[in-house]
Amino acid sequence: MHSIAQKEFVSTLRDKRFLVLSVLVLALLLAATLVGRASYQTLQQERQLAQQTVNDQFRHQPARHPHRVAHYGSFAFRPRSGLSLLDSGVDSFTGTSVFLEAHQQNSVNFSQAQQSGSLIRFGEMTVAFVLQMLVPLLIIFLCFGAFTQERETGTLKLLLSQGVSLRQVAWGKIWGYSRAVALVVAPALALAAALLFGTEEFTSGADLVGRLVLFVLSYAVYFFLFIVGAVVVSAVQASSRAALVTLLGLWILGCIILPKATANLGATLYPAVTKAQMDADVHEEAQHGINGHDPQDQRSAALKAGLLKKYGVDSEEKLPVSVGGIVMSESEAYSAKVYQQHFADLNATYERQNRLSDWVGLLNPYQAIRPLSMGLAGSDFAHYVHFQQAAEAYRYALVQRLNALQTSMGYGDKERKLDAHTWQQLPLFAYQAPPLGWALPHLLLPVVALLLWAVGLSWLGLRLISNSRLA
Amino acid sequence: MRIFWLLFSYEWRHFRAAKGLVLLCALLLLTGLYGIYYGTTEMERQRQHLTTLPELSRRNVEELKVKFPGPADAGDIGYYHTTYAVHHPDAWAALSLGQRDINPYYVKLRLLGLQNQLYATDNTNPMKVLSGNFDLAFVLVYLFPLLIIALSFNLLSSEREEGILTLLLAQPVSPGVVVSAKLAFRLAVVLGLAWLLSVVGMLWAQVPLDGRVGTWLGLSTLYCLFWFGVALIITALQRTSAFNAVTLLGVWLLLVVLVPSLLNLGVAAAHPVPQGIELTIKQREEIHAGWDRPKTQTMNRFFALYPQWRDTATIRERFVWRWYYAFQHLGDLAVAKQAAAYANGLQQRYDLVEKLNLLSPAINAQSSLNALAGTDLPTHLKFQRSATAYHDALRAFYYPFLFRKVEFTHNDYAREPTHTFTSQPELSTALRGLGKLLLSVGVVFAAGLLLLRARPINPR
Repeated sequence: MHSIAQKEFVSTLRDKRFLVLSVLVLALLLAATLVGRASYQTLQQERQLAQQTVNDQFRHQPARHPHRVAHYGSFAFRPRSGLSLLDSGVDSFTGTSVFLEAHQQNSVNFSQAQQSGSLIRFGEMTVAFVLQMLVPLLIIFLCFGAFTQERETGTLKLLLSQGVSLRQVAWGKIWGYSRAVALVVAPALALAAALLFGTEEFTSGADLVGRLVLFVLSYAVYFFLFIVGAVVVSAVQASSRAALVTLLGLWILGCIILPKATANLGATLYPAVTKAQMDADVHEEAQHGINGHDPQDQRSAALKAGLLKKYGVDSEEKLPVSVGGIVMSESEAYSAKVYQQHFADLNATYERQNRLSDWVGLLNPYQAIRPLSMGLAGSDFAHYVHFQQAAEAYRYALVQRLNALQTSMGYGDKERKLDAHTWQQLPLFAYQAPPLGWALPHLLLPVVALLLWAVGLSWLGLRLISNSRLA
Repeated sequence: MRIFWLLFSYEWRHFRAAKGLVLLCALLLLTGLYGIYYGTTEMERQRQHLTTLPELSRRNVEELKVKFPGPADAGDIGYYHTTYAVHHPDAWAALSLGQRDINPYYVKLRLLGLQNQLYATDNTNPMKVLSGNFDLAFVLVYLFPLLIIALSFNLLSSEREEGILTLLLAQPVSPGVVVSAKLAFRLAVVLGLAWLLSVVGMLWAQVPLDGRVGTWLGLSTLYCLFWFGVALIITALQRTSAFNAVTLLGVWLLLVVLVPSLLNLGVAAAHPVPQGIELTIKQREEIHAGWDRPKTQTMNRFFALYPQWRDTATIRERFVWRWYYAFQHLGDLAVAKQAAAYANGLQQRYDLVEKLNLLSPAINAQSSLNALAGTDLPTHLKFQRSATAYHDALRAFYYPFLFRKVEFTHNDYAREPTHTFTSQPELSTALRGLGKLLLSVGVVFAAGLLLLRARPINPR
């Protein structure tokens, strides 16, 4: 078996066509790594600079009324995750910055996709793109003749007559091809690792190492199952041509047609609400109460009456706190609660839409590796929602702190301002991307799908090979 | 000529017998129909969303009428009243959705500064927009080349490999006629499918019957012809079926996947547009500085631009709406340069792609179809300009109330301007695309025929 593997490995390397293709793929991989790093650097610097600017601006405000500051607000810029230079996931299609202010939750604006024409819809050149789509193609070209060629030249009979079993031949070939593929992919991943851990710009740590290791492992499984699949198809099909056409057809179906079709179908099946409708609904419920029996003016009146009673006074002027601040704080809490419900509903709809694609991952390995890869890279939908939530949490905390400041100013606060140094004591937005442990539960389905494929193919496929009458 | 038709009909019988190919065509037909279904339902959904917006505005007005039962200060109304600039799709958009799922098709507007409202996005599922739209244009641009490759990768090679070619060429037929009959048959199948799908799509989407019908059919025909030209070149090389399949798929990958993604990187690097973030930050600074600046300074800057309001009463109050809206507008003007640079930067990116799309007929075909349907970036930029003009109209409507201190009554809500914008096709872009496709077709066919002439067909 070892010698079969060695033979496949050596003859693959001697094959000029494979050499040309693999040099091309390697060149693309290296280029994609460098391009990914360059775009990572530009975008990251742009966002860091912008965040720094707005933070400075926030801290250096003049004396203002706290509610003015709440409207002045701040911006949250989404930093990119380190591994997103390998797989930018949905990053180009999500906004980069969100304006944080009192009373309302704004959309995350200025996505890369909005800043380019329809060209971006053809796909982006990233390492993940090469690994997910092009390397399988390389594997197909490499393996389609694994058995058919031996049969066409009659060498398979010779091999079997020496007492080697079909299964051993198959494993030998799989092992040989795996080494050849590893040779193509490894340099690019090594370069990526060197960039990630060798330079200052990434905060490397155990988390990043864990993510990268799992990233590499998942792709190893992905390539392995493609190799096994291609070898099985080659064994089952009558001719090299038939094997190649079958494999290419499967590639087109799995990598081009199914992902788009399922994503579109999901969106058709589970329609999402528009931002305009959602904002109107949030406003409606905040004004009239979540169940329509609790209008805001009644809530405010009750609040005021309660305050007068609590402090044992008969008019607003005698209160030690600002009624305006307290009402503001209450209504912010109420509307934020309403918003969170609607936001959770919206994301549940999106997750239902995406679930469809994830389940199809059980049938199509491409749709298993894609979410897994971007989940590990920290550039998937779940990570994006995490950022949105963090920005909203910061917005809410900031506005409520400002409301508390207003409350403490007492009656007639509108006529007065707070000192400029007040703003320097407020916390700034600092986004902490979630750790690997947070991301993993989201990725259970794709992991299971990939493993099922690998195990299923090795078991069923190989049984198919040894049961077939090849020679 | 008789031999040509004989071979043609022989191909037909051969095709009918080959279950796999018939199945493939049927599958493509189905995916095409799904594409049309998806595109039309998606546009229907956008239209339906757009029809809910006047209702939302109406509800907002009802609420304001309760909040301000009598004549009100127009400043309060301008602050709380929301209205929408809407971008209606053209009927053709259902066949080529372009960027309509990424760029918002409505903008919610209040009388406040425009620049921090104009770039708000709608709710989108990023996973879905990443996967892209399965519309008819996708089927034509992405999948039809694959069908053409599947039908013609073994045009001669399979006959050679099965030993039939020797027999065939032993008859009194010229190899040129054999190749052209085979190509013509496949062309008939593919164009039949493309036209069928296009006509079904046009009927389904109820497009107006104008010159664009011809342009659409012309674009799809030329694009298919281009891929047949590529197949002709590969056939003329006279290699094995496996080599042909790999090479054709390689060309497909290059033109449909690699060139676009590399071009995208190049264009983004050539025209960086960080102004978007920059301008919103700067506009916020300007507007909020308005609160802290002396009121006369703000008003004098405003009056220099709008002298017609100069004779209005001097502001002595602590707060008055006309001053508030004056500094909101000055905030917009302070970033006018950045806003123009941002829009120009995007347009320049698009124009650069237009110049370079000769490199890949796939990009050319896609952007021409989008231009024809009015679903690409230039149309969105036009919509943004239209929304800006609408915001100007709103200001013009409210300013007399604010500066002449006219009370805003319940009847005035109905007098407020409304907005509508419908995509216009970028016909010149589409026609230019047609010309460029014609050129590409000419080049591949010339190369293919020259190759065929240079190397006579070898039956073995």
